[in-house]
Amino acid sequence: MTIQTKTTQAPLLEVRNIKKHFQAKGISGETQTVYALNGISFTLREGETLGLVGESGCGKSTAARTVLRLIEPTAGEILYRNQDLLALRPDKMRSLRKEMQIIFQDPFASLNPRKRIDKILEEPFDIHGFTNPSKIKERVVGLLDKVGLSSDQADKYPHEFSGGQLQRIGIARAIALNPSLIVADEPVSALDVSIRAQVINLLLDLKESMQISYLFISHDMAIVRHFCDRVAVMYLGKIVELADSEPLYNKPQHPYTEALLAAIPSIDPETKKERMKIKGDLPNSMDMPRGCAFHTRCPIREKQCEESIPQLKEARPGHHVACFLRE
Amino acid sequence: MPTPELRVKNLKVAFTTGDEELIAVHGISYQLNRGETLALVGESGSGKTVSALSVLRLIPEPPGKILSGEILFDDKDLLKLQAKELRERRGRDIAMIFQDPMTSMNPVLTIGEQIIETLLRHTPLSRSGARVKTIDLLNQVDIPFPEQKLDQYPHQFSGGMRQRVMIAMALSCSPRVLIADEPTTALDVLIQAQIIELLKQIKKESQMSILLITHDLGVVAEIAQRVMVMYAGDIVETGPVSKLFRASLHPYTSGLINSVPALKATPQKNFRLSEISGTVPSLSQIPSGCPFHPRCPSAETRCRTDKPRLKEIAPDHAVSCWLHP
Repeated sequence: MTIQTKTTQAPLLEVRNIKKHFQAKGISGETQTVYALNGISFTLREGETLGLVGESGCGKSTAARTVLRLIEPTAGEILYRNQDLLALRPDKMRSLRKEMQIIFQDPFASLNPRKRIDKILEEPFDIHGFTNPSKIKERVVGLLDKVGLSSDQADKYPHEFSGGQLQRIGIARAIALNPSLIVADEPVSALDVSIRAQVINLLLDLKESMQISYLFISHDMAIVRHFCDRVAVMYLGKIVELADSEPLYNKPQHPYTEALLAAIPSIDPETKKERMKIKGDLPNSMDMPRGCAFHTRCPIREKQCEESIPQLKEARPGHHVACFLRE
Repeated sequence: MPTPELRVKNLKVAFTTGDEELIAVHGISYQLNRGETLALVGESGSGKTVSALSVLRLIPEPPGKILSGEILFDDKDLLKLQAKELRERRGRDIAMIFQDPMTSMNPVLTIGEQIIETLLRHTPLSRSGARVKTIDLLNQVDIPFPEQKLDQYPHQFSGGMRQRVMIAMALSCSPRVLIADEPTTALDVLIQAQIIELLKQIKKESQMSILLITHDLGVVAEIAQRVMVMYAGDIVETGPVSKLFRASLHPYTSGLINSVPALKATPQKNFRLSEISGTVPSLSQIPSGCPFHPRCPSAETRCRTDKPRLKEIAPDHAVSCWLHP
């Protein structure tokens, strides 16, 4: 069964050059700056799923949270349906939050262990001023049904559920107020392999039935390929490649993307290929390399890569890459 | 004919919670051959880690308890060894690496001291000899500037480097068996690829046998020759990796393989992944009959009542499923 999705061109979310620098205290008390986001820009179109991928420490989760203003950016603009979120008054922002929700990685940590499931699911309605209790109850039953849980589980507590079921409850909470945008931050990484497919399928169903756009954060390249229309690859707080998923996976342009794809262990013996050897570790985001941030590990680097920073440029229609050698 | 290095017979392990005794491993038997990498695959709660930890009697007792079974190494039952004899074996003959290298190292000792300690315990080397050997080991696992790194503390290393140190520590006494419990799960994919290459290279240079515990079928395909799939405390299928991934017989194995999206083939956009319905049963509620039957697309009446036994279907390929009696 293939689900048809209408991807219209209107941008739902436009992120322009956002930066986030954290101040961290070192062991001896000195202040250091962590360069978590170093100017990223992307557009999420209405009905689209955009994947943000990269290794831990690349800034993908910071980006996800900044977009929802759960973290305030150091600089940049975030436009949601042409409204600048950073300029909104608090009350306006709060009411807009109905439309933009988040699903977290760890379903055990993101649900209050002392609250019953029905109370957890009623909370969004309470916060956003719904007052009719019997209507709310009805909605909660509907939500449980939508995520594949039965209504007689409503009076249980989180510890009585498995990880996969808890993630369904987290999803039910996120869709309670009919959002247009869901930021899903590694929604299946904490789940068992046999459960991941169930949750991904649920997210696909909801996309279809509720016209949701997703910003999907993940380090799992295979799941991203399956789930996302477009993909942005991040490295040390910057987007190094951004393209539709097919060209990105079939013809990766940035050497980092190439290395990431080649490093994935595959169960298909035919995909075994000569691996691009990437030496060394991710540099410390408190001590960023000069020039292209990837040059310290890049197998094809040249002199200019050590000196100047490549910008994200359109190498071919719709395919953006930040690499001097692949422009 | 492969030479068995380690033989596990009818291993049964339980955990006590309150006044309930929960069986985590239901009497499993397998052998690890000399020079091979055997992968133990399963989801959380399948008993894969418990059955591997039992080999070195590293299960905390209580609440854990090895109820029965034999673990034969050099024709001696490790389960019957005196504590002192077992300590001699641990680290020297059978070494272990863990998922999280940070919590398995001592944070207040330099990594050099930790490796030297192992060497002094198990080899006749002097302290200065052990230091030279340690530098050698760090070199072997590709740690740059080993002479300086030796005197640093675990927190000064990245996750990947720490895992390399763990591997150096495990290799220090040239063990015959290495038990690796999810050695790459906590690592990013580029670093994971480096560690897999390192393990392969070590294997090439020695006759060491590796028991690899993982949930990642991709890692299995990269590095193992044989695989055992565990579900709810039982081995449900075992066979050569090439065979198992091409023609798995147990519906659970097939389900696991199919639920991983293919990276190579162009997926149809928004195509639903094939999923295994239901959830992994908790130890206190293991279903009757075949424990997989509530989630099995091909379950028959018999599967609900009678538990199938692991049976050899083809040479070296065994499955416990009523579809293949």
